[in-house]
Amino acid sequence: MQGISRRGLLASAAIIGSGGAVARAAAQELPSHERELYEAARREGEITWYSGQQSAETSEAVGRAFGERYPGVHVNVVRSTSQVAFQRLSQDMRAGVAQCDVFSSTDYSHSTFLKRQGRLMAYRPQNAAGLIEVAREAGDPDGHFHVFYIGVHLISRHTGQVPEGEAPKSWTDLLDPKWRDKLAVGHPGYSGAIGSWALLMRKLYGWDYFTRLEKNRPQIGRSSIDPVTILSAGERQIGVAVPSATALLAISRGNPQALIYPADGTVVVPSPSCIPKDAPHPNAAKLFMEFATGPEYFRVTRRYFSESLRGDVPPPEGAKPLDSIKLIVPTPQEVETGVTEVKEQWRDTFGI
Amino acid sequence: MTESAAILTKTEAEGARRPGLLRRLRYLEPSNLLWILLIAALLFLVAVPIGKLLIVSFEKQGSGDFTFANYATAYGRVRYLEALGNSLMLGGLSALLAVVFAVPLAWAVSRTDMPGKGLTWAMVMGAFIMPPYLGAVGWILLAGPNSGFINQAWTWLTGLQAPLVNVYSFFGLALVISLHSFPLIFIFVKSALDLISSEMEDAANILGAGTWTTTRKVTLPLVWPAVLGGIIVVFLETVALFGTPAIIGIPARINVVTTQLWQFFEYPVRVEVAAAYAMPLLLITIGMIAVQKLLLARKGFVSQTGKGGERRPIRLGRWRWVVLGYCGFVGLLAVLMPLAVLLQASFAKAWGRGLSWDNLTLGNYGYLLFRHEMALPSIWNTLWFSAASATAAVVIAVLVAYIVARKLVPFGSVLSFLAMAPFVIPGIVMAIGFYAAYAAPPIALYGTALIIILAFTARFLPIAFANSAAAVRAVHPEMEEAARILGGGRLLTVRRITAPLIIRSLIGGWLIVFIVASRELSAAVFLVGPRTRTMSVLLYDLSEAGNFEVLAAFGGLLLAITLILVAIGMKLAGRDFMLRRS
Repeated sequence: MQGISRRGLLASAAIIGSGGAVARAAAQELPSHERELYEAARREGEITWYSGQQSAETSEAVGRAFGERYPGVHVNVVRSTSQVAFQRLSQDMRAGVAQCDVFSSTDYSHSTFLKRQGRLMAYRPQNAAGLIEVAREAGDPDGHFHVFYIGVHLISRHTGQVPEGEAPKSWTDLLDPKWRDKLAVGHPGYSGAIGSWALLMRKLYGWDYFTRLEKNRPQIGRSSIDPVTILSAGERQIGVAVPSATALLAISRGNPQALIYPADGTVVVPSPSCIPKDAPHPNAAKLFMEFATGPEYFRVTRRYFSESLRGDVPPPEGAKPLDSIKLIVPTPQEVETGVTEVKEQWRDTFGI
Repeated sequence: MTESAAILTKTEAEGARRPGLLRRLRYLEPSNLLWILLIAALLFLVAVPIGKLLIVSFEKQGSGDFTFANYATAYGRVRYLEALGNSLMLGGLSALLAVVFAVPLAWAVSRTDMPGKGLTWAMVMGAFIMPPYLGAVGWILLAGPNSGFINQAWTWLTGLQAPLVNVYSFFGLALVISLHSFPLIFIFVKSALDLISSEMEDAANILGAGTWTTTRKVTLPLVWPAVLGGIIVVFLETVALFGTPAIIGIPARINVVTTQLWQFFEYPVRVEVAAAYAMPLLLITIGMIAVQKLLLARKGFVSQTGKGGERRPIRLGRWRWVVLGYCGFVGLLAVLMPLAVLLQASFAKAWGRGLSWDNLTLGNYGYLLFRHEMALPSIWNTLWFSAASATAAVVIAVLVAYIVARKLVPFGSVLSFLAMAPFVIPGIVMAIGFYAAYAAPPIALYGTALIIILAFTARFLPIAFANSAAAVRAVHPEMEEAARILGGGRLLTVRRITAPLIIRSLIGGWLIVFIVASRELSAAVFLVGPRTRTMSVLLYDLSEAGNFEVLAAFGGLLLAITLILVAIGMKLAGRDFMLRRS
């Protein structure tokens, strides 16, 4: 209640204070396909976004930016982990309560599962044409889900303890015995991104990669973000498969870390978003899809070090443009069938 | 804030209102109506969600057909059984360590002339208020094998490279858990010790026993029920804990029940298997209550007889400094050291850069207080959810404890089982039970504050119950019988005789529930909606964001707010909450 009224207040303050004329002018300057949707969306007034993708802070900023671009349409940001978001949506569906307008998670299988069940609305945002190739191809060919967020996972080092010359250059370098007791990594049972990374390593080097990695006794956390914190503390020196956004945030605060783009490929985990068929605010949901595939969204999220998926928005401070480096990407099918296997294999190999 | 005061004024207000009602209902056995209401509440809070889980554990996913397959899956792998074994051992070790920390402190504060009692109390409160998750982070910074401050100091002192302590070990995990759960035993034991009059000790002294022998043979055996109750609660809390095992146990490669349960909630979610896996925990609860009954059977623990009695502190002489030293040591481990490293992080621009002037900032706090959309609402949510749950839990618990102790209904043990059962259900499973039972229409509590308050009430009912049961057991029925003989009804007797005798214990119980509810994570993380986010959930979200400086600052805010509220609560609850009667 409180949140809404406060945000409502902010929105109205933005309209009155910072010049209603400006906001109105902005609305007039919208491309025609957005303006039509905006007219319809304004009558719906709000959308509810279940998301497990960006951090809570970034998600809130996206919600605010949407409200500023389309005055009168408020975003209720329901941010949680992807698994919880999916469970919440499943519970809604079982209870027959439609609350969610846009569902975003880091797990492909959520969207493909919902699509197979016939739960999703097909919609092709026109702005998606401006996305980079990796993002466009990762979306559903039938238009049931789209990708406007990807996790970029690479290696990081503690700059105080590992000089650039000695740092590992590729995923296979991590198997060198000199990194024994120096590595930190997340867990595929807790992090979908680590599941995808493990899947790609298995595909490239076979499961043997992990039996050899285990000989170096990596410290296993849960989230793919854990190594970033562990490196900041100085407990370990090399972060394995850390997300670039979090590492860049830590670096921007002055923590002694640096990114390493592995020569054998930076892991990219496309994270899909979809509109449920019974979304209570369908037009606003479509408008949100347009917004999230358009440049304004990436201008907001790059401030929080998320990757830009459009050529017309530069990458975040400190990151390389994605089209300048070698990327490795799992397919939706691989993720859906492979991650469960990888989790079991992981537990057999690492004992946790 | 003023909730504890509200409890007091409420009982007074009721005292003024009830007689009229009582006169009318006198011949209708009004107490019986209350008992029926109580049973309904217990059924709603505990039996239905657990029953739902039990049913689900025998259901085939999707179709709902009857099957045993879930049990076969849940116990079909050695790894799953190992996790169960680890949890039981962890619970045992943590409870043991907690007794070692708690009982000497409780004895020192309650019975002796040790100096610095207020400080010791504050330490215990601090250890209790600090969310275990936050304490675990602090201990990783202290005792990480490579970077921990303790190990770095050790290397600096001795030149040895091998770490002195390693938090990523079974003992490290048990120690960190016990450092944040020993206050439960402390509070139980201290309130029991407060009720023992010095006359019993005097009797032993007159017969030639020294202070040590008297304490061992007379004082401590009298509070055995409180110690045992505390051990059980700590054991069960440890088994149900998710945060600390996840943050320390996984790097240590120790799998426990809760981390295993998490695996069953991965996609595709196997609630059915999770339910089957959680069932033996219920059997353990039943077993522990049976053992408790057996151990306490046929012995008298009555210390409050209504015949007066005087309480004098035991003179420790020089030993009081030794005892104070031990209290300080526990405080150092549980509060001062983890707090110091967390505070350092919370005021740091970059945690990894360590202590230096140009690394200091108030920005993390400023961000949370003035620019963060959810920080302040989550604080408010936490406070009122916790207060509401604590009130509901204590009211239900004391009534159940009274019925059971005075054998007012047949099958009283069923009630006490129901009141104790939720503790061993891991929070996340409890949340699933609540979700399954009450989220959907017709009850439709999805996303409301009520579902969280109910879940907290159910989850912490056992603490309130253990606390109330110990309090009720210490009141001899003779005093009530005297009132009954003089014509007082059951409710009048409870209000005039029993309640005043146990009110201090109840306020203590209320504060305990309030505190544990305010730091609860595992159930809350699943039940929060967009507008009902609590501080612990936000803390967890922040930990996912890798922004450790802000996480530590939010932890600092959480601690400061709870501390202030507890201090106000203690003040309003009366001096006698902390100080002995003179």
